[in-house]
Amino acid sequence: MNIETIELTRRFGRTRAVDGVDLSTGPGVFGLLGPNGAGKTSLLRMLATVIPPSSGTMLLLDRDPSGHAPRREIRRRLGYLPQNLGYYPGFTVVEFVEYFALLREMPPGRVPGAVAAAVERVGLGDKAKAKLRTLSGGMLRRAGIAQAIVNEPELLLFDEPTAGLDPEQRVEFRSLIRELGQRATVVVSTHLVEDVGAACSQVALMHQGRIAFQGTPDELTARGVGHGVGDAPLERGYSAILAEARA
Amino acid sequence: MTGAMPRVDLGPDAVRDMGPFRPGPTGPRLFRLHLISRQAPGALAALVGCAVLLRVALHLRWIQGGGASAQQLLLLIECGAAAAVAVATRNPFGESERSTGFRLPLLRLGAALLLTGAAVGALVLGAVGARLPGGAPQVLRDVPGLTAVGLLTAAALGGALAWVGPLTYTVVAEFALLEDWHTPWMWPARPPHDLGAWVCAGLAFAAATAVASVRGDRAA
Repeated sequence: MNIETIELTRRFGRTRAVDGVDLSTGPGVFGLLGPNGAGKTSLLRMLATVIPPSSGTMLLLDRDPSGHAPRREIRRRLGYLPQNLGYYPGFTVVEFVEYFALLREMPPGRVPGAVAAAVERVGLGDKAKAKLRTLSGGMLRRAGIAQAIVNEPELLLFDEPTAGLDPEQRVEFRSLIRELGQRATVVVSTHLVEDVGAACSQVALMHQGRIAFQGTPDELTARGVGHGVGDAPLERGYSAILAEARA
Repeated sequence: MTGAMPRVDLGPDAVRDMGPFRPGPTGPRLFRLHLISRQAPGALAALVGCAVLLRVALHLRWIQGGGASAQQLLLLIECGAAAAVAVATRNPFGESERSTGFRLPLLRLGAALLLTGAAVGALVLGAVGARLPGGAPQVLRDVPGLTAVGLLTAAALGGALAWVGPLTYTVVAEFALLEDWHTPWMWPARPPHDLGAWVCAGLAFAAATAVASVRGDRAA
């Protein structure tokens, strides 16, 4: 298993943002759904080793990130696109992606080819030498995806990756993560249930820091049968489970 | 995006088309990119500005003699240099950078030492041939000490607000100069040969560079 958590909890003051989450997943695309404030971003930040858990157990790529050496190894094999992508506007797309390739300790000889491949894969090949300050929001998001995938990670974490992408780019992004999910564990946190339906093999729905549902998109759809809220079958499943959790 | 397409083996031509970079030593290239992302060129320009200001102040005899009043403008200039170094700790990448490997602390340490050295060097060069109150040793003690306050402020408030600490400390130190305080923690108010002041400034700088290396600036 690439991700294994037991009773994972994260508190901010008195608030339990993540409350006893048990997760276990191997290679494939894992969708993380939930309303605002459900704890998706806090869970992803812990999986990205950016914040430590308050309690519980977490193994990433079969290693415990609380130790110095295992955390270093995890970070070398991790890709992370946070919800708020920060960037230096004076960097070109290539410099931005190259910086992250070098920070993730890629062998120097592999860096130029890996950077070129990552930039091409997100469709920014013709903008490779453009400064980030000149790019649109959607292009910046794609540059962020390129920095996350440049080291060919075994664990990829995307927080709202399709925010700012147009419909055509979202379709292409889903294809990309399906391809990445063939050999890596890709966790996608999103509000958009259609992204989950199109790209994910497993899905979890979070509510108030807990996992309210975990299963396949088909199982999520099945939970919505006979439930009237929502335009699409997955949306009906989503709202049915949330209604149960709130009740 | 080309996710649906088979993986393309990008050869040397594709790499060449993307700009002037080739396989090479990782360290210097990474350090250069890190410094650029921290706007180190801007910080260096600010340090040159501080050195020019010091030169002008010495030439026009705004800084004259060895009394407290002579040191006040010098202290302000040192504060400006320290603030320029501290603000350059700002991380523009946020969590995507914090989730990367263990080269980051070394990069932060290298940047802090390089820019602090540049600040001291710029002010010492700016005073060459003129009589500076306290001389070069005082600059060598006060600028790293003030920079330490800035680095700790960056860790507490974020890089963009890192100037607040040195400025506040300077205001208190200006008062300490006038009132002739003796505490070594107000090192700018102490004479350049005061061992306690050197120890305090050195301890502050060592602690601040350690914090800045491990934690960086506070996430926005």
